[in-house]
Amino acid sequence: MLVETHGLTKRYRQVTALSDCTLGVARGEIFGLLGPNGAGKTTLLRLLLGFLRPTAGRATVEGLDCHRQSVAVRGRVAYLPGDARLFRQMRGRDALAFFAGIRAGGSLARSRQLAERLELDLSRRVAFMSTGMRQKLALAATLAADTPLVILDEPTANLDPTVRGIVARLVLEARERGRTVMFSSHVLSEVEEVCDRVVILRAGQLVHTQPMAELRQRHRIRLQLPGELPPIPESLRGQLTIVARDDGAVTLETPSELSPLLGWLATLPLVDVRIEPVGLRSIYDHYHHAPASGPNADSRGLLTGSP
Amino acid sequence: MNRSLLKKCLSESRLLLLACSLGLYLFCWLRCWVVGQFEMARFQAVLEQFRDFERFSPVPFEQLFTFAGRVALTYDEPVVILCVSVWAISRGSDVVSGELGRGTMEMLLAQPVSRLQVLASQVSVTIAGVGLLCVFAWLGTATGIQTTTVKELGPPPTWQVPGLGLKVPNPLAERGTVEVRLRDKVDVRVFVPAAFNLFCLGYFLAGLSTLMSSWDRYRWRTIGLVVGFYVLQLTMKIAGIASDSMAWLLRLTIFTAYEPEAFVSTAVNRPDEVWSVWIVDSQSRFQDLGPLGYDLILLVLGTLALVAAAVIFCRRDLPAPL
Repeated sequence: MLVETHGLTKRYRQVTALSDCTLGVARGEIFGLLGPNGAGKTTLLRLLLGFLRPTAGRATVEGLDCHRQSVAVRGRVAYLPGDARLFRQMRGRDALAFFAGIRAGGSLARSRQLAERLELDLSRRVAFMSTGMRQKLALAATLAADTPLVILDEPTANLDPTVRGIVARLVLEARERGRTVMFSSHVLSEVEEVCDRVVILRAGQLVHTQPMAELRQRHRIRLQLPGELPPIPESLRGQLTIVARDDGAVTLETPSELSPLLGWLATLPLVDVRIEPVGLRSIYDHYHHAPASGPNADSRGLLTGSP
Repeated sequence: MNRSLLKKCLSESRLLLLACSLGLYLFCWLRCWVVGQFEMARFQAVLEQFRDFERFSPVPFEQLFTFAGRVALTYDEPVVILCVSVWAISRGSDVVSGELGRGTMEMLLAQPVSRLQVLASQVSVTIAGVGLLCVFAWLGTATGIQTTTVKELGPPPTWQVPGLGLKVPNPLAERGTVEVRLRDKVDVRVFVPAAFNLFCLGYFLAGLSTLMSSWDRYRWRTIGLVVGFYVLQLTMKIAGIASDSMAWLLRLTIFTAYEPEAFVSTAVNRPDEVWSVWIVDSQSRFQDLGPLGYDLILLVLGTLALVAAAVIFCRRDLPAPL
């Protein structure tokens, strides 16, 4: 594992920003962090960078302690903060030169290349750039650093859809070059598009880990029947879960291949049928709306992942 | 220290440094020129009117009746102290709370640089700037002394005794004024202790501002606290001088250690004591701290503040940008 946390906790007096968080991020993985505001995503990232002193537990990057060896850790991490603010008196090109110069192995040519891809005017002073332009500049400075780990905290905030697409491609390219990316976002479609695995945080607790490959196989089947749903055949019972049932409308979910189910569905007296991928939205909504009751809390047995 | 960080700090502060340096240089030059505009006798007559308030003067009035004493007043002028204080407080307060307030600390510390490196780069530029300002103040004084002429009473007129060729002073005739070069009256080197004292005050203020900045996240609050402390200390000095019953306050204010005129007086009258830490009498008993002793108080307090700032900044949690 490139990144590991063990019982990582951060408390501010009465407030627990992150509680007993244990996770691992593998090399070459794009790892997503999901959760509403105040869920603890940024606290987790800031603990990894050594900005905060953990109340309990520890975090490591390439085996280096994130708090005690934070300079060495930051040598291996390129970080884009959620609200990236750059030095206002500098021009865009000066800011890129600064970030390329401060880091051993930094490359101004690489950051200029990225800025060009993001269609950024580098001659303008940061103070006169729009929020989106500043975000692009910060992205160019961050992604140009040749580090094994890239941490992006809401990288596409303030960007237009075209640039969002470019950012998603840049993240995928980073993985192709063997880099690991930790990616926090509120845009679920983006996370779904690029991440290999996501974790959901709620009220400072890691409540769910979801491998995306598994999620992409899961489907939701909405049936409209004239009467009651007949009993599910024995052979399909392990693969189907009834999620909702309401006056002839039944919603089923399956975590595996659809083909074994289609034969059974064909035997039903269906008025209407709709099959759709489950998607991250439903997973997110499940945790976002359910009351917090500890890691991996799941009152309905819907989800199969584990933290 | 880190070259990129130093470059960034310099680029952020160069305009303020340039303005303060130029302002100090020109003001100190102008101040010497002003000395040349007033005849000593008139100045003396004016000052004698305030003999009752001599206790407020850092040196006896007799010292102010010399050109060195009058030029030394430059280092007590509000403009001079203001230039150094503005630089020291504005740069010192920027170190941590300034970067945090602007939200740039996050991107800065995301790079592989330690907090100590960030602090050291900022502090180095601040202290070097204070030094540069004091050099410019001294250079301005030196330029002023080199280029100014002063008026003073000339020798008494004489009349020649006919036939004998003797010249006898004529006490009845009015003495005229003559112009002499200020550099013939004053040695510019006597102002080095005053400029160094100014540096020590700037160093202390930079240290204090850095300390306040190290735990704060709002620069306006840091500046407010330091300025509040500054005003309080100044008030304590005035109160301590004004009333014997409050003289004890003088021991608690850092402005007791800022006495450039007294140090110039020492440089003129007792040059062997000008770089003494303490002054002893003929029986080797301690009498008072020497100019360097007072300077050391400011330097030690400033250094302690900087060390405390480093400890606080390296240990604190870095708050997220607002």
